[in-house]
Amino acid sequence: MSSAQSSFLARHEFLIRRLHSLTGLLPVGAYMCVHLFTNATILDSVQLFQNAIYGIHTLGDALILVEWGFIFLPLIFHAVLGMAYVSGGLPNPTAYSYGSNWRYTLQRATGIIAFLFIFWHVFHMHGWFHAEWWLENVARPLGGAMFSPYNAASTAGKAMQSTPIVPILYTIGVLACVFHFANGLWTMGITWGLWTTPQAQKRANFLSIGVGTLLGIVSLSAIAAFTQVDTKKAGEIEEHLQEKRLESGFINEKQLHHKSVDDHSTDQENSTSKGDETPKPQNGSGT
Amino acid sequence: MSNHSSTTKRKTFAVRVLRKDSPESESYWERHDVEYEPDMNIISVLQKIASKGESSSGKKIAPVAWDCNCLEEVCGACTMVVNGKTRQACSSLIDRLLEESPSEIVLSPMSKFPVVRDLVVDRKRIFHNLKKVKAWVPVDTYSDMGPGPKQSRQQQEEAYPLSECMSCGCCLEACPQYLKIEVTRKNGETDEAFEQRQKEAYDKGFIGANTISQVVLFNNNPTGQMNAKERTDAIMQEGGIQICGNAQNCVAVCPKEIPLTTSIAKAGRAATIRGLQRIFDK
Repeated sequence: MSSAQSSFLARHEFLIRRLHSLTGLLPVGAYMCVHLFTNATILDSVQLFQNAIYGIHTLGDALILVEWGFIFLPLIFHAVLGMAYVSGGLPNPTAYSYGSNWRYTLQRATGIIAFLFIFWHVFHMHGWFHAEWWLENVARPLGGAMFSPYNAASTAGKAMQSTPIVPILYTIGVLACVFHFANGLWTMGITWGLWTTPQAQKRANFLSIGVGTLLGIVSLSAIAAFTQVDTKKAGEIEEHLQEKRLESGFINEKQLHHKSVDDHSTDQENSTSKGDETPKPQNGSGT
Repeated sequence: MSNHSSTTKRKTFAVRVLRKDSPESESYWERHDVEYEPDMNIISVLQKIASKGESSSGKKIAPVAWDCNCLEEVCGACTMVVNGKTRQACSSLIDRLLEESPSEIVLSPMSKFPVVRDLVVDRKRIFHNLKKVKAWVPVDTYSDMGPGPKQSRQQQEEAYPLSECMSCGCCLEACPQYLKIEVTRKNGETDEAFEQRQKEAYDKGFIGANTISQVVLFNNNPTGQMNAKERTDAIMQEGGIQICGNAQNCVAVCPKEIPLTTSIAKAGRAATIRGLQRIFDK
């Protein structure tokens, strides 16, 4: 790192650290909550989950701007700086084994786990980039990009059921993220000067425990539900929903075509369930 | 003497000391068997070791060097790490330490400051940081300025605990975000050049809980308030309050029970407001 670069970081250290703190809540943490609650709609039905995903994908091509502008870039900012900050500390919970010191150490440990987990999770489900050559030649051959938004429950279920290790990794990763977020709320309140006295901080800690417990329950039940989803049946329901949406004009063929290009290799596994249904226009044009 | 040993369980107890002969030399452990007496503290143990003049293996040794002043937990000079925890030697009572750890008592110098010799460390960085934030009420004239503004009872009650800080460094020793900075003098370097380099290194490091708390103390003083922005700006520089990781060890180990984490949160609030001012009041 050149000296000009390091002095820029040094001069704006306060602002950068505060932005790091802020991005943990907005948009990264807030997005995570939306994500976890959306996942949990699978507990109701395949339909509800699929409809929630349709809702997200109503943005069409503009979704990539939201994805990068409000999710990936702030997340990368928070994660990369976080890794640098972890290396600037010397955790000592065995010498000074106070609750808050353990939480300090866990905040860093869960941050590292979350970093690795999200890195892999985004690849596993999303594929990192949606350029077709990347999906075809890199992401899918390596077991990534398994989630297909217009076949949401069936592809997510398949991804979760591919090997028994996957739900275990998701459980560890998601719990790390939830702890990191809930405890981060508590430290953020101190950092920004919201709760100052020990009494107020104690109350705020109960708030964090509440948020963490709720999100933990929500996310673990969603993981459990995805491991139980009947992917074949879910696929049939999704095809039906897709047809009806297309008929009623909620989605257009262009969107479907666009998606099916992305999704066609995962859809091949679905082809048995597709085969006995009416031919889809997107299949013909997409492949 | 025989009375004492008959009423107590032990005649001697083991003390292990992490010694260092000079800033440049290597540290080494030395074991001592110290004769037990009731109501001893670490200071009297160190005095006994000095008067005996030999280690448990019978080797002739120089007395263990340590810092001290008041001997009543007011000055902070004898702060060291006793049985793995930072505290003052003068108020560390042997009877209680032996209850915690009957096998031996372990003494080492504070790990976050450069060791001068044995248990003596150089805590210059603490005072560098107090100067950096101007932890005082400036009086720039000798003429009579009349009485200062009155302090409310509540202000006094909030200020008093913060004013008890003795700059001992316990909060910094226990802080996982406060890392040791040791600048070694280069060959042929002048005092001025060395000190300049040292100051620059200190400016990059975390200022720590005690200094942040002093900023809160003087920013809430009716006269000190006049320089509040300057002090808040000082804790928003590199190594400022933003480095705090909320482990809250500082408040747990503070021998004066100063509400350091309350100070940090209050200073954090002041920094939030100051940051907004700097961006939007330009």
